[in-house]
Amino acid sequence: MNEIIEKAREIITSYDGPKVRIMEVCGTHTHEIFRLGIRSLLPENIDLISGPGCPVCVTPVGFIDEALYLALEKNCLITTFGDLIKVPGTEMNLAGARAKGGNIRPVYSPDDAVEIAKENPDEQVVFLSVGFETTTPSSCLAVKKAKELGLNNFSILTANKSMPNAYLKLKGSADAFIYPGHVNAITGNAVCKKLKEDGVSGVVAGFTATELMTALAVTIEMLKKGEPFFVNCYPRVVKDEGSISAQKLMDEVMELCDTEWRGLGMIEKSGMKLRSDYSDFDARIKYNMPHIEGKPNPGCRCGEVLQGHCKPSDCPLFGKVCTPLHAVGACMVSDEGACSAYYQYNQF
Amino acid sequence: MENVITLAHGSGSIQTNELINGIFKSNFDNPNLTADDAAVLSLDDGKIAMSTDGFIVSPYEFPGGNIGKLAICGTVNDIACMGAKPKYLTCSYIIEEGFPVEELEKIAKSMGDTARKAGVQIVAGDTKVAGKGQVDKIFITTTGVGNIVEGVNTSGAFAKPGDKIIVTGDIGRHGCTILLARNEFNIDADITSDCAPLWNNIEAVLNETKDIHVIRDATRGGVGTVLYEIAHQSNVGISLESEKIPVDPGVRGVCAMLGLEPLYLACEGRLVFFVPASEADKVLSALQACENSEKAAIIGEVTEDNVGKVILNTAVGAKTLLSRPSGELLPRIC
Amino acid sequence: MCVGLPARVVSVNDGTAIIDANGAKRDVRAELLDDLEPGDYVMVHAGVAIAKINSDDEAEGSEVLGLLNIS
Repeated sequence: MNEIIEKAREIITSYDGPKVRIMEVCGTHTHEIFRLGIRSLLPENIDLISGPGCPVCVTPVGFIDEALYLALEKNCLITTFGDLIKVPGTEMNLAGARAKGGNIRPVYSPDDAVEIAKENPDEQVVFLSVGFETTTPSSCLAVKKAKELGLNNFSILTANKSMPNAYLKLKGSADAFIYPGHVNAITGNAVCKKLKEDGVSGVVAGFTATELMTALAVTIEMLKKGEPFFVNCYPRVVKDEGSISAQKLMDEVMELCDTEWRGLGMIEKSGMKLRSDYSDFDARIKYNMPHIEGKPNPGCRCGEVLQGHCKPSDCPLFGKVCTPLHAVGACMVSDEGACSAYYQYNQF
Repeated sequence: MENVITLAHGSGSIQTNELINGIFKSNFDNPNLTADDAAVLSLDDGKIAMSTDGFIVSPYEFPGGNIGKLAICGTVNDIACMGAKPKYLTCSYIIEEGFPVEELEKIAKSMGDTARKAGVQIVAGDTKVAGKGQVDKIFITTTGVGNIVEGVNTSGAFAKPGDKIIVTGDIGRHGCTILLARNEFNIDADITSDCAPLWNNIEAVLNETKDIHVIRDATRGGVGTVLYEIAHQSNVGISLESEKIPVDPGVRGVCAMLGLEPLYLACEGRLVFFVPASEADKVLSALQACENSEKAAIIGEVTEDNVGKVILNTAVGAKTLLSRPSGELLPRIC
Repeated sequence: MCVGLPARVVSVNDGTAIIDANGAKRDVRAELLDDLEPGDYVMVHAGVAIAKINSDDEAEGSEVLGLLNIS
């Protein structure tokens, strides 16, 4: 344990003020907080809530159904980040589609999906484009590359999300937010500063043990002062202006649209879709996608869990029909989804 | 001989004989290798350990080994983990029509070399050829037997609170090697499989002490899966020091890139020992003096509480539960 | 979200860089960062270098806590 962690740990564990609710909005933060066991250090009056910061958790059932349609009805080769493979659609997940003969391949980068398209001219390759501002540039670069290469067998199915309007939706869910460092590395801090003016407090944090502990300690110290605040606790990566080149790139290739978040419903201008210049690469247009209405399990309360309105154990499906091995809701899918973490922890 | 395996090689004809004599006999040569329907053998008195394992791996050749080496190590290590000196092995091949003979020869050679190194004799075998597309290149099954060293009594159910947990080297290298060899993620790293026969290492430990509770080889599922198995079988908890778990920097880099947990990557040359605290230092120094276990380390201990759980002590001085993997390991971005 | 990988730049060529994280190497897209040079450290996500890293986390932590007089 280095000195910084020790200092931060002292601040966190000795907090004895009024009850505070802190929400981390980033799936990787949730993962690291779990992996490092940070929750077990927190005194009872600090509530750390896992927000909707994981593109897997917020990807609606209908998106998976669209991907299943392309895989099984249109015989497309589906390329995807591994995260999405186990996410339940209405009838099955992508692993199920693979067992039925669908061609589903995990990739590390959208660029790799373009390579696959280049090497397999007889296959129609579709990349499942999910992610927030951090990930969206990688999809934009891939689409531009496919266009440069003149590939006509590559397209993307977009479910890209934009964080700022989601923050507004979450306003009031917590006393302070831990903003996702790698989203801010792209967007910059302007939104968070604006939120501070509206009375919403938060810090932007990195991902190492030192960074997360520092960010939590800063949050607690600032909450004690009682004034709205914003602190950049990840200055080695996050600049106030963000990445201008990434912002330009996204603006060139994609535009904002209204979009559905699993559990949160429709949020205006919180999604990204391809601009008309790139419509040849839009899988929905290319395959004349019918309207597919995903049917989530009506008992599933992932949405309320994501907003911190209820605990996983308040959901009627939790631990009964919905377990890590048979996930019904998205929060149970990845090991660090709020429900999965809660399930495993509660047995500990 | 033709340069690819054909259906004729599996038909019991002249070609089959050519294959057996030309490739297997020369590489496996030992006095007990049978030309009859079965090998006739003798074992020492006392208890024996016997095990069988099927091997399919894609690609069949990888940095640090191939499917042949793997097929010997896997079964030899399974027997050795029961405190038995591996003595005889049988092997059965299912080969896809069109498989290059030259490649088969390489595989047979590494089986012969590895068997000699492990001190085990290959005494009988079988070869079947399947039509193109019916199998993926080559599958091998090996079965082995050996005498258990007197006074040794190990089982996954014997871990006791207070036991120290020792791993014989850095973890996850085989799984990581295969992941890279498939080249699905376009990552380069100088990582070789840990695949190795480990009887010598176990023998060295047993020469120091026979008071060993559990020996398990960590294969698919990795060390993390072994720890959960033992926690369940023995009805105990396990407490790990996350910073003491040896991981090769390259493996750590690949895992960081793909969001994977090294504890769940396969090993093919790593053992996990559960030993009484009083024996731990002896066992550790015996292992550190052997090839393939120079980097052995104590990574944790058995607890009475948290039955069935693996708890990690983390870099921030907190405790967390090691997540159990559900199904296939998938790279993640979030 | 967003698994980020801190990595050292080994070489840069025409918008692409080879990065090295503890010995794990890969080609990544580097066109979002200007003036990238071998030896620089970058944050990599999904095959794209998204930001330069200009110090280690301990120096950063001490700076952040120091600025707020938390020490």
